[in-house]
Amino acid sequence: MPEDRTQICKPEVFEKIFSTYAKDLKRYIFFKTQDMDLAEDILQETFIKLWDNCNAVTFSKVKSYLYTVATNIFLNHIKHHKVKMVYKKNYVKTSTNESPEFIMIEKEFLEKIENTIRSLPPLQREVFLLNRIEKKKYKEIAVMLDISVKAVEKRMHLALIVIRQEIGNV
Amino acid sequence: MEKNKSHIENETYLAQWIAGDITDAELKNIVSESDYLAYLKTRKSFEVLEALDQPLEVSFEKIQEKISKRNKTKIIRLKRYWAVSVAASIILFFGLFSMFSSSKTFVETSFSEQKTITLLDGSEVVVNAKSKLTYNEETWAENREVTLDGEAFFKVKKGSTFKVKTTNGTITVLGTQFNVNSNQDFFEVICYEGKVQVNQGSENHLLTQSKSLRKINGNPLEQWNTNTENPTWITGENSFKSVPLKYVIFALEKQYQTKFDVSMIDVKMIFTGSFSSNDLEVALLSVFKTMRIDYYKNDKNEYVLRHSK
Repeated sequence: MPEDRTQICKPEVFEKIFSTYAKDLKRYIFFKTQDMDLAEDILQETFIKLWDNCNAVTFSKVKSYLYTVATNIFLNHIKHHKVKMVYKKNYVKTSTNESPEFIMIEKEFLEKIENTIRSLPPLQREVFLLNRIEKKKYKEIAVMLDISVKAVEKRMHLALIVIRQEIGNV
Repeated sequence: MEKNKSHIENETYLAQWIAGDITDAELKNIVSESDYLAYLKTRKSFEVLEALDQPLEVSFEKIQEKISKRNKTKIIRLKRYWAVSVAASIILFFGLFSMFSSSKTFVETSFSEQKTITLLDGSEVVVNAKSKLTYNEETWAENREVTLDGEAFFKVKKGSTFKVKTTNGTITVLGTQFNVNSNQDFFEVICYEGKVQVNQGSENHLLTQSKSLRKINGNPLEQWNTNTENPTWITGENSFKSVPLKYVIFALEKQYQTKFDVSMIDVKMIFTGSFSSNDLEVALLSVFKTMRIDYYKNDKNEYVLRHSK
């Protein structure tokens, strides 16, 4: 077995583990916290814990170790800061007619959105990704694709309508 | 009413809203309540998606920073035993210092310089111009191993295995005389006496007396016989046999510390012959005259090469 116990303590192995699991782990933590900064903190804390215990964790168990540690840190965090209370307070807000400041993004909802973006008609998807992911202005996209700004806006508008139809009632 | 409807069909208000040109309150007036909430949630999802899609290099750097910082605090906790730790670190420091300082020996030659060195076991090495040789004195008794970048001639005393490591391959011998030339992608080993084993990638080759082996720039290995007793460069003459001109020019540059502008000639032409290591003019004549190449010096003190008409 090449996967001996000491392996994780090697910096290059540790980095490899980070690049393999960090993104999914952060996503997982985010759905629990609903707070990107907190998710980032927990992610860092989790990997520091892994480093501290790199001798005790076997390579094959590293994934479940990371998820368990992350969950525990999250639960401790709730205990300390009584985040639950904040949740409840915010949750009430969403059901009122006031402009909601706190919106829960559930795992299923995000997956639905991702799938919908993937299945958008190519022209709309192109504009959508350039604008939302690459942060290009409509004007820049118009120049890139050699179409009018109005056409770009139209595609974006349609893309949003398609997404709206796909997600149904929220 | 009719007019209003067509106006909405032409609308791109969602595009403007997501770009921030229309406020949430304005959107709320245009669309229904449930649509409005759905769009808010959708926009939030886009933000989340984007944030989750960010590369995590920064996070990794922060993790490492925290780990190293925390290690420092651990050292501070040892303050109680400061005398012990100071003593230990002094011992460690000098221990490491003496280990590293004496372990590696470097021999480096500059342009047009040759050095003859005798290794601890009595083996002789002649290092040609602009080459680098490294070996470990400490472990020499158990491990006869040198690292070479450039060209050198070895006269190895009989004994345990003697290894020459280069970036192009490793040469293993028992006791013999051989020449190694490993410059960039040019690799040549000539055996003058005894037997030499060359490991090149996954291939193994055994060279016996007066056999040579060469690999140029990823081409297949070539083998041929040589009839001299010593490499000619030892006696002040650099010889080449069917070598692309590129490497001959490279050797000239190393020997005479000059630069050549080869942009106008074909460096793949094959050269057989030699040049003197003492006289640049003679060397230039003997290489380029035979290849029908003209040369002159430009203002940057480089030799510009051009095919003769």
